[in-house]
Amino acid sequence: MSDDNSTVVIDAGERDRLGHPLDYRELNRRIRKTLSEGQERIVLMNVMGQRYIASATGGTRMRIEIHGTPGNDLGAFLNGGTLEVFGNAQDVTANTMNGGRIVVHGNSGDITGLAARGGTLLVKGNSGYRVGIHIKEFEGVGPSLVIGGFVNDYVGEYMAGGTIFVMGLGCTSSPVGLNVGAGMHGGRILVRGGLDEHQLGPGACLAELDEKDAAVVEGLMSQYEAAFAATIDRSVPVLKVMPLDSRPFRGHYDSTTI
Amino acid sequence: MYEYEPRTASLRGPEAPHGFSERSYLVDIPDRHKPRHGSCGIAGCMNIDGSLISGSRIEKMITTMSERENGLGSGFVAYGLFPDFADEYCMQFLFENEESQALTEETLSEWVYMIKDEKVPTFPQSGMSPPFPLVWRYFVRPKTGTEAYVRTGLSEEDYMVRLVMSVNDSVPGSYCVSSGKDMAVFKGSGYAREIAKFYDISRYKGCMWLSHSRFPTNSPGWWAGSHPISILDWSVCHNGEITSYGVNRKLVEMAGYKCNLLTDSEVVTYLWDLMVRRHRLPVTAAAFAMAPWYYRDIERLPEDERRLANQLRITYKEAFLNGPFSILVGRSDPVTMIALADRKKLRPLVMGESDDGNSVYAASEECAIKSVQYDARIWATRAGNPAVVKVGEGIVRRGTESPFLGAI
Amino acid sequence: MRTDIKVPEKYLPIIDQEACIRCKRCIKSCSYGALEFKDDKVRVKDGCVSCLRCVIDCPTSAITVVERPSSYAPHAVFSPEIRRSIMAQANSGGVLLSSCGANAEYMDIFNDILLDAAQVTNPSIDPLREPVETKTYLGRRPGKVVVDDDGRIDLDASETPIVVMDMPIMIGHISLGSISYNAQAALFRAASELNILAGTGEGGLHNDFYCHSKNLCAEVASGRFGVTSHYLKEVSCVDIKIGQGAKPGHGGHLPGEKVQKLISETRMIPLGTDALSPYPHHDIYSIEDLQQLISVLKESTEYSVPVGVKIAAVHNVGAIASGIVRAGADFLTIDGLRGGTGSAPRVIRDHAGMPIEIAVSAVDQRLQEEGLRDKVTLCASGSIRTAADMIKCIALGADVVGVCTSAMIAMGCTVCQQCHRGACSWGIATQVPELAARLDTEVAAQRVINMFHAWNEELKEIMGAMGIDSVESLVGNRDRLRYIGPNPRIAEILDVKHSGEGWG
Repeated sequence: MSDDNSTVVIDAGERDRLGHPLDYRELNRRIRKTLSEGQERIVLMNVMGQRYIASATGGTRMRIEIHGTPGNDLGAFLNGGTLEVFGNAQDVTANTMNGGRIVVHGNSGDITGLAARGGTLLVKGNSGYRVGIHIKEFEGVGPSLVIGGFVNDYVGEYMAGGTIFVMGLGCTSSPVGLNVGAGMHGGRILVRGGLDEHQLGPGACLAELDEKDAAVVEGLMSQYEAAFAATIDRSVPVLKVMPLDSRPFRGHYDSTTI
Repeated sequence: MYEYEPRTASLRGPEAPHGFSERSYLVDIPDRHKPRHGSCGIAGCMNIDGSLISGSRIEKMITTMSERENGLGSGFVAYGLFPDFADEYCMQFLFENEESQALTEETLSEWVYMIKDEKVPTFPQSGMSPPFPLVWRYFVRPKTGTEAYVRTGLSEEDYMVRLVMSVNDSVPGSYCVSSGKDMAVFKGSGYAREIAKFYDISRYKGCMWLSHSRFPTNSPGWWAGSHPISILDWSVCHNGEITSYGVNRKLVEMAGYKCNLLTDSEVVTYLWDLMVRRHRLPVTAAAFAMAPWYYRDIERLPEDERRLANQLRITYKEAFLNGPFSILVGRSDPVTMIALADRKKLRPLVMGESDDGNSVYAASEECAIKSVQYDARIWATRAGNPAVVKVGEGIVRRGTESPFLGAI
Repeated sequence: MRTDIKVPEKYLPIIDQEACIRCKRCIKSCSYGALEFKDDKVRVKDGCVSCLRCVIDCPTSAITVVERPSSYAPHAVFSPEIRRSIMAQANSGGVLLSSCGANAEYMDIFNDILLDAAQVTNPSIDPLREPVETKTYLGRRPGKVVVDDDGRIDLDASETPIVVMDMPIMIGHISLGSISYNAQAALFRAASELNILAGTGEGGLHNDFYCHSKNLCAEVASGRFGVTSHYLKEVSCVDIKIGQGAKPGHGGHLPGEKVQKLISETRMIPLGTDALSPYPHHDIYSIEDLQQLISVLKESTEYSVPVGVKIAAVHNVGAIASGIVRAGADFLTIDGLRGGTGSAPRVIRDHAGMPIEIAVSAVDQRLQEEGLRDKVTLCASGSIRTAADMIKCIALGADVVGVCTSAMIAMGCTVCQQCHRGACSWGIATQVPELAARLDTEVAAQRVINMFHAWNEELKEIMGAMGIDSVESLVGNRDRLRYIGPNPRIAEILDVKHSGEGWG
């Protein structure tokens, strides 16, 4: 936890006079108010399922620590700054993230990073189904989603850009599920520990890393190590999943005038 | 006003489980030539000091405007009628026969304590078409102490509303014409003079009277659909046609009222109850919702009033009574008369007060007022602007003031 | 693998060689390459789609386009369309694409409904001389105003985010991508000028168009193209697109060749890549997830704008609508099966969904039964072609109607149904710069303004004739409608009486 004097602590476990926990509306209102007063370091204590935390916020110096279990849609539409969760994150973390950084000292749920187009997400442990669906890049910049452990099926479906890196730390078999990169037409999915052809979705293919990929892998590993004080074995091979084609379903339609 | 045929058979017909098994001249709309819209007359009088007025006065007022009616319905309502039973709800019924009375009493005994009941004397007139209903009144107190009541989760008033709706909807041949405290409605099918004689209105005295005479197109008699239309202590006499009926009905039905009379006037009564009693709106705000100003005029109001005006138009857009109307609305505690015309002033409404300021009148035509108070000072309310007069307080507003005095 | 047998040409341009002055304008006009100049004559090639650009451009009116008379032998069951579609599929093995709204002859119920007018018992109103109001609100309504203990109205507690429009009309969601920059600029300018709403479509909002943001409704579709907090907060309302009447249950696919610089910037995706909208929102697999997306959008906009949901009209639309309102939607858009599209599989476009007349009526009735109708704004779209359709649709329960195809026609579209090919000769449904430049934004905007102005005047004329002087009193007012069509069961479902049935 930060010992900075300017840190503002908000107790999300506070009860109102009826004994109900702090409502997400009130919690977010307090966060926004604190930010608008120029205080950019916030610690949320005793978070228990409050949704939409810090959605649509994001000054570059903003830093919000979250202790407990944040609810769904953590950091939706995030534009910048850092959210750091000491615990697990639930579903749809980093929904449509635009920029900034989300660090989860635990696992994240399904649909992590939906439609993100920027920023970095580091998950120390595992993540669920449909991670990084439809992430995309813009003007050469895309999001990076890094999952320390494994992910389930449909990772990177519809993917149009950016990087998903599944590290497989602690896994004894392939750290990704089935239908990997289904219909992807941009970006790359990096899998440490590899995967088999049958795990690929339609439109995706396997490839060796090129130099650029290798640099990305090394960069993300370093970020992970710094964020979680970990050491990653560099000897385990990393494979890349990429689109077969930028137009995977080109032949699917017919435009004849009927 | 006109009456609507039910869209579904749910209210009557052999397939309806709680419908009327046979035609009832009381509450059934006849098959053909149903009453439609037309002209009507409305009149009201009250004494601000609460002193009593004989029914003959209102009878004179309404019959003075006999050109406005065609014998197909009329009615009266008196307030301050039962000083000895002022705390009990007075439920006044029209029964088709003894059987419907017995069924009704059975229902009543489940819902309310009966304090007193009595037959309302009636005197069929030669010009009127039989059969004539049995008229009975019950002074009751809701059984609020019972577990059954607690389980309903209803306020005492809403409980009474539900009782009235329930009887009118499901007891064949029975219709509750009024259910408020210290008031009663006397109405039926006939000319105003005939209805006045049928009930011998002159035998009653109240501190406020409202009356209605109607001119629908060709139609046999229909007792329950006559005015005033009343729920709790609200009573409404309505002249005009509500072009937005379908919209207004939607709002009151969503709030739990049953439109079993299928007249456009019925929704007006429920709208007053909904907005003023249940939503606690000031009368001016409720009147504004029913007859709102044009947006171009709202623009010219001061900031706060403009915000309120817009908010009322947004929130209560289904309460907007579009089309021509003038209405007289009565209420108890304190006895109050509200007179309101539509926002274009398409139906007539004039007000009058006696020289000493104690008697106040409202009517479709000035002659009705002058017929009983020759020296009355006459004024007219503005379009969509309510006049409000209360016993003990006097003329609270004349219907010429700015719209929201005291509302915000 | 393609195995081509030629599908016979459908249209034939006929050149009146005597009238032709050989200016070759028609050859430039044709974006489908169906005309050429050879041996000093304009000659016809294959590929005419009957978009009529050449016909209108020809200075001597020398061109006529007809359906080819050498058609298939008549057959009552296997229509030429069916035979052509089989031929095409046998050639390509592909899913047939088309655009605009359903082209099947489903019953057009609007044409079976008659309007009422006031006679005797209620005065009609002359809208040129007395006010007839068409101001319309969009957003959640509180149900009642808050009255404090002193009996005074607490306005701060009563007000909700509301969009005020001068007409009960919204130009529907048509994305930049499905139409050109100039076309979208024209629609947005028209919306600003008329003070109505226009939808951004799912392609984000180009920087140049933020000047119109007070009249824009930002769409959030499954692709989340261009969806940022800035986008959400700048506009006057936000619409979650679940579905579209032309292709219920289907996603979107903007082919890579349309994704040029302009589109790439606006959608925030790389140049030349396909822009795919997943079929579902992958954060919405059930109704409670919809509530989650509605809530995160409200939270992200700090409760400053209404958040709505748009669905295609499907069989269970009433119950779905009620769930959407309970999930917190401030407004609800139902798009009927005849609604437009820039590209949809023909099989879905023509066969899935429900006509808007039935859908809007079902939703209005269902919301009323559940006591929700006074809380929410109901928008209806899907082939609202004329003011008459608009009026009938409002009387069947819509607060606001959404209009797309008619606005396109006002700009020049001839409904040739080739939008998906991106070669629109009118410069509307194309991203080819030379074609897009054909549309003059000023002229197109003015034409859209003129059309909606005329519709609003017609709305006032009809309301005036009915004796209704404000449009809210027409919403769901079925008493003002009568059915005159062939199937009385439809009247029952619409809760509209048959012509000839009075009130009594």
